[in-house]
Parts: sequence; structure tokens; C-alpha cells
Amino acid sequence: MSGSESSGMLVHGSLMVGYAQACKNLNIVAGRAAHAFIDKLEINSWYPLEQWRELEHLVLHSYARVEPILVRVGVEMMLGWYHFGPGRTQIKNGAAFLHFQTGSQGFTSVVQGGLDVIGTFDMDFYDRRRGRAVIHSTTPFNRWMERGVLIGGMSAPGDLDYVDVMMGDDPDLLHCEFH
Amino acid sequence: MTLTLDEVLAQNDPSKLEQLSKDDLHRLFWRFKGQQKAWDRDKAFWQSTNENLKVAYERLDEQERELARAYGIIQEDLSVAHNVQRALLPRVLGEMADEIEVGVYHKQLTEVGGDYYDFFRLPNNRFAVGVFDISGHGVSSALITAFLKAQFMQVMEHFDSPQGIVEWVNRTSFDFLREVRKYATVNLVTFDPDGIRYVSGGGYGLLLHGEETFQFEKKNHFLGLRLKPYREFALPFASGDLLALYTDGMVEAQNKDGIDYSVRRLNDVINRNRNEPCEDIVARCVEDYTAFRAQDTDDITLIVLRRR
Repeated sequence: MSGSESSGMLVHGSLMVGYAQACKNLNIVAGRAAHAFIDKLEINSWYPLEQWRELEHLVLHSYARVEPILVRVGVEMMLGWYHFGPGRTQIKNGAAFLHFQTGSQGFTSVVQGGLDVIGTFDMDFYDRRRGRAVIHSTTPFNRWMERGVLIGGMSAPGDLDYVDVMMGDDPDLLHCEFH
Repeated sequence: MTLTLDEVLAQNDPSKLEQLSKDDLHRLFWRFKGQQKAWDRDKAFWQSTNENLKVAYERLDEQERELARAYGIIQEDLSVAHNVQRALLPRVLGEMADEIEVGVYHKQLTEVGGDYYDFFRLPNNRFAVGVFDISGHGVSSALITAFLKAQFMQVMEHFDSPQGIVEWVNRTSFDFLREVRKYATVNLVTFDPDGIRYVSGGGYGLLLHGEETFQFEKKNHFLGLRLKPYREFALPFASGDLLALYTDGMVEAQNKDGIDYSVRRLNDVINRNRNEPCEDIVARCVEDYTAFRAQDTDDITLIVLRRR
């Protein structure tokens, strides 16, 4: 992504603040510099992707095995979004989150820029009865965090007994299972 | 009769599981499996956090070792600086010792400090003694002591009055001292055949002449504070008379109740022991001060001189 990062993609403050708040809640960023950086973020502003990367770096550089941490950050972000943000009014149940996140109110509402830069977050397959869906993501965000976002978003309403998101050989395909 | 999963859980009776509907049995299956998944994710999260903690402790250990190395280097430097500053302190001049008996106590709060004293030779085989206290403590003040020594050494043989000497040093040091935000108390005494002349700006002086007691006039300003003339004073200093010069280190130290050791108490000890040799008078003062004060809080200089 480094070649396209300076090509004008913007990330909405709500996503930045959500991520930062999740990191704070989980105590996974440390140090005054990190907290000062996080405290400067404003929820209604737009930030260049580089600043998102900086935020991401606070976590990435701290952990030898960062994948489970990023999943947890994604989960925590969406729990915050649902219970303390607008989430409760925007989705009725866990499965609806998949439609929400791949629709116009979801991923595309928190990024700005050309398609070649922001990528896509589309639902390739959805079967409610069998509890299966496949999301195809080409966004510049970390797939492990996106996995956590899907798990957290589907779990937050509390109506599903089982939620999991797996990554296969193609890291851009997120296989969701929910019951 | 069938029960829902919530009803079975509410009754807290596993034997009722047989009464679950098929749908609820499925729910139970998924809920259990969902919990397992959540536990797996939590376990991975905590394992990663734990590994991170281990790495963090290792980094902390390494930083501690680096700090210890850096501290060792600083300590070595300070030890050298301590020796240099010791070497800058004077020995009593031979000719001066023939005329004047001297006792000195000089202790820096840290390895290096801001108290400084010196014995000088003046024109016409006369002598002077100076006691100075540079504002602050530590390395920065210690550097100023070296600077002041150089200034005084330059001028001593060109003036014969303490006023002329102190004014020259104040004038030539003023801009530098302002720039480094330092100032210094000054107590400079010159010895004449029958008396002394002195300039005192912030220092302490006690003179015992026969039955009379004089305390130094402190109407002058500190070095580096103002570009104004200094006032010089004269006192008799005959054979057997005693002169004590000191900085504020002793008199402003406090006991555990917050009471100052005080000028009065120090002067009393000097007075009580006035007939002892100068080194013994100094020792009595230090004993009394040490028994009184809770801890040292400043550099200390005390010089006691007697006309032979």
C-alpha cells in the first residue's frame, strides 16, 4: 500500500477515534506520546491515510504477534460503536451488520478517495439460513482488524449464538459464519 | 412439555435438558461452540499480550542496564570534577600562616558545588580571604566557582582595597553571570597591620575584638545582580582577635521541627570556644551543627581566623 498511501485517501475521525478508544480500553498502547496523539483526534474531522497508519503503527510496533490483538481491537471498536455510538439505531440484528457494513452507510461512509485507493468492501455471498457469508475486501486496512470488525459488529446486538470470521488462502476473502 | 433454553438455564437443573425443543438444542450447540470460539480468540489475545509483556520487560531490563552504564559514566565524570574542584581550593599561604592562624570546614552537598573560598596575595605582602556562594548547586555552580577564581586571580595584584577588587570582578563578570542566570554572595576581607577591610554582599562575618563583637554589614549586593558601587567597611583586628566567615549552608539548615540552626546559634558556639585553636573552634561548630540539623541542604563553608 505504501505507493498509494499518499494519493489522497481520507479516513473519517469516527473510525480513528473508535480505533484509538479501543486501544485505550484494552490498554494496548502505552506511553505519553501515544496518548497525546490519540487525544488530539476529533470525531468529525477527516484524516489522511498516513495518520491512520501512524495510529495503526502504535499497535503494530508493540507486539511480536499482533494478529490476535488486531482482531480484538476490531471487536472492541464495534462493541463501542454499537453500545455507545449510533450502532444500535442502525442495525436490528447481528446478521444485518453484514449488509450495513458493505452498504453505503458502512465502510464507504468512513473513507474518501478514488476507488483505486480506498478499495472495496463487498459481500460476495450471503445465505442467512445456513449462516454463511463471504466478504471480499480490497481496502487498505489490516485484514485481521477487519475480521475483528465483522465479529464485533455481528456479535454486538447479542442475538447470535455463534459468530466467527475466517481467512482462507486468499487473505482478501473473509468467510463469515453466524448462527 | 418442552422448555426453552432460557427456561432450563433459569431453573439451573441440567436434567431438564431433555425437555428442550429441537430448535433450542441447536441453539445450545451453537452457543457452546460460539463460546469456544470466543475463548480461543481471548486466549490468543492474552497469549500475545503476555508475550508482549515479556518483550517489554526485556526492553526495560536493557534500558536499565543502559541507564546504569550512563550513570556510571556521569559518576566517574563527577568524581573527576570533584577532584578538580578540590584542587582549586587554596592552601594557606606560607607568609599568611605566620601572621594568621586558620581553621576551615568546607563541604559540598553533592560531588561538586557552589561554595568557594580562597586566600589571595595582595601588593605589599598583604593578604586577603574570600568566601563566595554561587546560586544553585551542582555542576553549573561549580563551573562558576572556577570562573570566579580566575577573575579574582587576575585582579588581586592590581588593587589594594576590597572595594576595588569586588567592583572590578562584578563589572567584568556581570554580563556572563546574567547570561548564565547565576549570581554569587561575596565576602572579601583584606588584612592590614591593625585591622581588616571588607566588602560583604550576602555573606556572613563575625569578628571578636577583645570584649567587642562585630557582625559584618551586609548592605552590598551579590555579584552579578547589579552594576552599582560596593561599600567597604573597616574593623579592628588585633593580636588574639578572631574572625569567622561563613556561607548560609549551616545557619539555614533546619532540625526535624523545621527550626533554623541560625546565625545566633553558630555565633554563640564560636564565642564560647573563642580561646581554642581555630581548627578546634571549627570542629566544635561542626559537632554542634551536626547534632542539631536533620540533614544537610546546602554547601557549607566556615573559616575561622585569628591574628597571631
